[in-house]
Amino acid sequence: MTPSFDDFVAEQVTPLLRYATVLTCDPHLAQDVVQEVLLRAQQKWDRIGSVDLPHAYVKRMVTNEYLSWRRRRAAKDVALCMTTLESVTPPVGDTTHHFDEREAMLQRIAKLPRKQRAAIVLRYYENYEDSEIAQMLGCAEGTVRSHISRALATLRLDHTPEPAGVGLRLGEGLS
Amino acid sequence: MNDTEQLIKEALGKVAERTPHPGPTLNALRRKRKRHHRNVFLIATAGMAAVAVLIFAGVIASDKYTPPRGNDAAAVLMSGNGQNVALKYVPHWLPDGFVETFRAADNDGTTRVWMLSDATANPLSGDGPRVQLSSGTNHADGPDGWQDATVRGLKARVKEFAGQAVVEWKAQVTLVVRVSGLDGLRETALRVADSVRADSNAVYQAPFKVKDKHANAFHGTSPDDWTAQLSPAPVDVTVFSRAPDLSGKQTAPVTVRGKQGVLLEGREVLVQEGGLWIAAMSTEQGKTVDDLVATVNDVEIAPDLDTGWIRKK
Repeated sequence: MTPSFDDFVAEQVTPLLRYATVLTCDPHLAQDVVQEVLLRAQQKWDRIGSVDLPHAYVKRMVTNEYLSWRRRRAAKDVALCMTTLESVTPPVGDTTHHFDEREAMLQRIAKLPRKQRAAIVLRYYENYEDSEIAQMLGCAEGTVRSHISRALATLRLDHTPEPAGVGLRLGEGLS
Repeated sequence: MNDTEQLIKEALGKVAERTPHPGPTLNALRRKRKRHHRNVFLIATAGMAAVAVLIFAGVIASDKYTPPRGNDAAAVLMSGNGQNVALKYVPHWLPDGFVETFRAADNDGTTRVWMLSDATANPLSGDGPRVQLSSGTNHADGPDGWQDATVRGLKARVKEFAGQAVVEWKAQVTLVVRVSGLDGLRETALRVADSVRADSNAVYQAPFKVKDKHANAFHGTSPDDWTAQLSPAPVDVTVFSRAPDLSGKQTAPVTVRGKQGVLLEGREVLVQEGGLWIAAMSTEQGKTVDDLVATVNDVEIAPDLDTGWIRKK
């Protein structure tokens, strides 16, 4: 039975926002992307609601919207700023000594080319296989492996771990 | 997985913790949809006018105009401030004679309870046969005693202990069905779980609020006999419809909400407001009678109380 659009939104808006937040590293942009996608999905719900996995379809719409959105915003794009995140939701307490390393890694991920970042998110956050990532990004599996390989090379190159407890404080060093 | 990959996973997990609340997105969606509908209406109106002119001019005649289809989706796009909370799920099968008696909602999730239609027990007491459905929170129990199960093709786990059976599974959110006081607990719990579907209609509507905090539990034995509670320590606030029995209890007059109320046993302030009663009781030491009076003064009863769901299936 085709789920209603209302049921779909009620169930999926939070998972979609979470995915979009990880994808964009920007809660504001995530809200805009999800909102745009849901508006479009609502207009085509007769068709989208009848596919086997509507949430997967809409998730792909979010991915595509993010990629196109980024293209439109490219001229005024700025690097990830932690204050952007904190203005939407307060930072969660973290007592591990990896805290600063993770923040630094996050900043590096945010600077990756958009398709590389999407591939990294789908691989390491969504735990997708290459074939699933290829389907999501609309490219060949070899291209996916290339995106991930290049992204990892960049992230490894930049990865210079801080000694425990000596790293940057929250917000410092982030543009 | 090497250190870099592990760090990537942790970094992405950290971003996920910053996921914004869905409320603003849902509200923006609702506004845009209304605007879209308005635009569609304007376009349709303009189109109709144009068609009428053309018909009048004898150039074209058309009777094929179809008005824009209505859409009721906005009904579920509610704010998540605790005043109206979508309950989202409902079992489509319950043992015979069970009706809904309890609803609760807070930041962690929602709970609904069904009991026998003639039950006199307070659903909060845990007495008597009952079926409970919770969403958004895991069953608070250790890892022991669980057995694997399946709910509508999804991996689940089931546990039977102390006169109750619990089924927990992950759909879009974690769902927990708990059944007690019945024969065939495990089978009943699994059957209820299998029948759980999305429910876009049921809404927890808080009957009152204290400042910006809304009542988080609501139960009753009939639409005219109900109790709602707000339990953020250090003061519990209760609004209820049945007149309290104060016989044999120590009472003293107290002014509250501009009228005379009662100080009960030196630790609870009680006052009648219209056909309802408002009570505030301190749950920790150090709260004065003035604190309780101030809390009761801050109680705002919702203008449109919805008690029609009580004792309905």
